[in-house]
This record gives sequence, C-alpha cells and structure tokens, in this order.
Amino acid sequence: MPAPGAAGANGGPAPPLLLAVGNELRGDDAAGLRVAERLGHDSPRSYRIAIAPAAIDRLLEIWEGRPLVVVVDAVRSGRAPGSIVRLEVGRDPWPPGLGTTSTHGLSLTEAVALGQALGRLPRRLVIYGIEGSTFGVGEELSAEVAAALPELERAVAKELGARPAGPAGPAGAPKGRPPHA
Amino acid sequence: MSERTIAVDYLARVEGEGSLRVRIHDRTVEDVELRIFEPPRFFEAFLRGRSYREAPDITARICGICPVAYQMSSVHAMERALGLAVAPEVRALRRLLYCGEWVESHALHVYLLHAPDFLGYPDAIRMAKDHPEIVREGLELKRAGNRIMELLGGREIHPINVRVGGFYRCPSREELATLAEPVARALELAEGTVRFTSGLDFPAIEEEYEFVSLRHPEEYPMNEGEIVSNRGLRIPVDGFDAEFEERQVPHSNALQSFRRGGGSYLVGPMARYALNRDRLLPRADAIARAVGLEPVVTNPYRSIVVRSVEMVQALEDALRIIGSYRPPERPYVEAKPPFEGALRCRAATEAPRGILYHDYRLGPTGIIDSARIVAPTSQNQKRIEDDLRALVGRSLDLGEGPLTQACERAVRNHDPCISCATHFLTLDLVRD
Repeated sequence: MPAPGAAGANGGPAPPLLLAVGNELRGDDAAGLRVAERLGHDSPRSYRIAIAPAAIDRLLEIWEGRPLVVVVDAVRSGRAPGSIVRLEVGRDPWPPGLGTTSTHGLSLTEAVALGQALGRLPRRLVIYGIEGSTFGVGEELSAEVAAALPELERAVAKELGARPAGPAGPAGAPKGRPPHA
Repeated sequence: MSERTIAVDYLARVEGEGSLRVRIHDRTVEDVELRIFEPPRFFEAFLRGRSYREAPDITARICGICPVAYQMSSVHAMERALGLAVAPEVRALRRLLYCGEWVESHALHVYLLHAPDFLGYPDAIRMAKDHPEIVREGLELKRAGNRIMELLGGREIHPINVRVGGFYRCPSREELATLAEPVARALELAEGTVRFTSGLDFPAIEEEYEFVSLRHPEEYPMNEGEIVSNRGLRIPVDGFDAEFEERQVPHSNALQSFRRGGGSYLVGPMARYALNRDRLLPRADAIARAVGLEPVVTNPYRSIVVRSVEMVQALEDALRIIGSYRPPERPYVEAKPPFEGALRCRAATEAPRGILYHDYRLGPTGIIDSARIVAPTSQNQKRIEDDLRALVGRSLDLGEGPLTQACERAVRNHDPCISCATHFLTLDLVRD
C-alpha cells in the first residue's frame, strides 16, 4: 500500500489526514486505531485516514507538506483515564509528563521533534491524546477510554473540517480498515 | 581502600532495555556487568509444537530492526534439513531483501544512534538542529533500505512474504526496477557516509579481538558460508556447538557466548569486514581504499566507518541484483511431510549485528520439537564487557560523569540489540 503522498488528487492540495497511532493488542493503546476505524465508516469524507507505520521516522515523509494532519494516539501523562488533550505543534507547549515511548526507533514525540529540527512538518499538526490506563498485552480498552471515544471522534472530525466531499471526493468511501501508511 | 561504582541504569541509544554496572576496588576493575533486564521473551518455547513453516514468521517478531535475519536463518535451517534447493532467482531476491535490512539497520545506527557520540550531542534530535543535512541523509538511506524490505517483504517491519522454500510471491521485473533509482541514489549517499564517518575523531584505542563471521567462496557473507575466525577457526555451521558455548550469568537475562575453552569473541561488521575484505564489491572496495580504511579494523570506535562501508556494499549488491533480475518460474519449492524420521535443522546467516544461529529439531510431521536461537548481541555481550573492562582500566582518573559517558559510548560501538539478545543496558559503577 503506497503511503498517502502529500499531493492530492490531480496534483491539487492534499486533503487533511487523520493519522492513527497505536497497538491493536495493548489495551488503551488501540484508542487511536478505534477512532480511525469508526470515522472510516463516515462517507463521504473530506479527509483521508491512515494508520501510522511501525517505522515512525516515516511520519516525516507522510506528513511533510500537508496542510493539516491530525494525529490520534493514547498517552500517559498522569491525568484521569479517558481525559482528552489537544496539542497544536508550534503553538502549544509540549505538556510536561506527556511522553510516548518506543524501543524500536523513534517515538511520536521524537518524530515531532525531529520534524521540527529538519523543517519537515505539515503546515498544521494537531495531536489528540487520550489518557490511557491499560497497556498490557491482550488487554481490552478501559471503560473510561471506551466511554470517551465518541467525544474524541467528534473533536477529531471537527478538527479535520469534516464536511461532505461529494461522491468524487478525494477520499472516496472507505472499504474495511483504513490503510497502513 | 576506595570503592567506586559506575552505574548506568538505562542505556540510551541502544536497542532494548539494559544497564551497566562497574565496580572498582583500589584502582582495580573488579566487576563489569552488562545487565540485560529486558524480560525473557520465550520465543524458543513458543516455537515448540508449531509447524516448521511458521518459524520464519514467528522468529521475525523477535526484532523490529532485523526481522529479515530471523527469517533468513530459519528458512535456511529448514531448507538444509529438508533438502530443498531454491531457484537462483529466489536466492538473489533473498540477498536483496537482506541488503535492505543491512542498510536500514546500519543507517539507523550510524546516523541516529552512533554519530551523536562523535559530534558531541546527547541524541540525534539535538544533532539535527545543528546538522540537519546529516540527519536528512541518514533518514534517506534508511528509507532506501525500508523500500527494499517493503517491496520484497510485503511491508517494511516484520515482512510477511518469506516462506520456507522461497517467497509467497516474487515481484515482476518492472516492480523490482522501481527500486533502481532510489537505490542508486542511496549508493551515492552511502559513499558520502564513508567519507563523513572516516573523517570523525577517533580515540586511539586498539583491542585484540577474535573476530568470527561467515565466509563464502565468492561473496561478502550473508546467507551462506563457513564459520571462520582470525585465529584459525574454519568450520561448517553444523560445528557451531562444538566451538561455541552459551552460559547463564546471574546479572543478565541473556545467555553469554564464549569460545569453548576460550574467552570472548566478536561478531558483526568489524568481524565480517576483517575476514572478508577481499569479498567487497568494486565500489565498496574503492571507497574503503579511498578513505584509507585498513584491511583489519581493531579500533571499536571505527566500527562506524566499517558499517558505512557495509552500507555501500549492500546497496551496490542490491543494485546489481535489481539490474540482473528475472522472475523465477515458481516463487517457492515445497517439501511435504511426513518426513523421514526426526530432522535437525541448523543454519547461520549474517544479521546486521553478526552471526545469527538457529538450531531446530523437527518431528516427522514437521512439528518443531525444540528450537535454539543464538543472537549476535548475546555472542558479543562478553566481548563488550571486555572492552569496558579495558576502557575503565585505562580511564580510572576520569570523574564519574565522563567515565559513565565513555562506558555508554563503548557499548554503542557494538550496536547491541538488547531485544534480540534476551534470550540483554542501565551503568552502575562501584569504587571500593
């Protein structure tokens, strides 16, 4: 599956992109994926949806040059489980205690910092984080996160300017799971 | 009497979770412990009771950086025992896939993990602020490796297209040709990497290593060959256990490897290069000569130059394979159980970090009865401790902070993959 490039259909401006980050098998870490899945059922959409690749450094090439990218990921910052944080890179300070970690290559936090250092960010990069509490292998979403998902979906859709694009819209109707970027 | 402890509780810029503890008593280095606390992962136990066909996909999950190595060692082990001969085109495609992994893994280490040590930065992100062009090149090289893995493996991490006997699907000539331009561009970049890394400042340190690697009659080693060392060892892969042993040590969740009746040894780029310098392809050979890289490198800090030469080698090889590719008649060959009696399946291939040995026993129905996986980092653990012992011994007058940093740096010279070794860093320095 090719990565959704920065150019839109017919070489026009790229549509906004929803980028879901997470791990299907680790409890609340799947929250971003659940949001992508549920918004993927909305048709038509004026934005595209992709699941972040395992090689997080690839994010730089996926989001570079796009007008708007909204990332949804589970976070751990010490807030109450299910709390939603919105962060616009370049405008809002990175909240203390908000960290994402990875033993394999870069974390999302590092990808953003690297994108900033290299000048490879979308024009607007908004990160929605939902505070998770369960991250164990094989665990389900926590009740708090599950209960907060509808609110997160509405906020993300609104951020993406979820207006109908019409049948010939660049995104088209989703079939099954959103593509891996 | 004075006791001094150097402790790094969580080693940075290494793959996985480990720590380091050094105890110095009256200016004598008493204990050096590379502690791998990444939890045991039980992959060898998961494999028991599974079909031989599942080994490449299960073992690939051991590592996100070098999954192809696990796939290659497992398929070669199974194929050798089953007498399966793969088509030459399939053999070439496997080499190409492995080249992709070497490039991706080496680019990550050279640019994002190792270079900050030489340029004086705590990490690649702060280095990127002052030297964005260096990090951009590193990411582009890594991307070239990832592209190869994506096209041949189905996806860039944990490829899913490798099977015992070949590939599930082989690309068309046209599909593979799409890699030619990005790989050719990456090859030029990698030659620049060799010039860049060879110009770095290196501490003047030489170590005495027993280098161990595969050696192939014609090629720079990857999927096949005998096991050789610079101290006269030359054995077939099946002789691995007769020459090497693994020991449990209390401070580590990774077994440590030793030469039987001997000490530590080193696998990986420095070993491969020292034992196979004459097998480099022309451009890799030319750039190594151009920067004056000696045929045997014993300064562990200069491993960054050797890794860079290996990137040129892998990209040059990749370009050659892409240019001469013809799709095979069939993407794979198959063996159908029941097999005659129990089978012993052993193979070693050259993962980016060195020899990866797999040893399986199969029942007649093709079910795995036992599996043993000896990863490069577990083989290098003892040797890394030896490097540290020597380093601390000659650096006793350094203060806590600089000595700790020097120790971490010495570990990173060998690009340990802790996740793989736990079947591995935090430094704890005690001065008595």
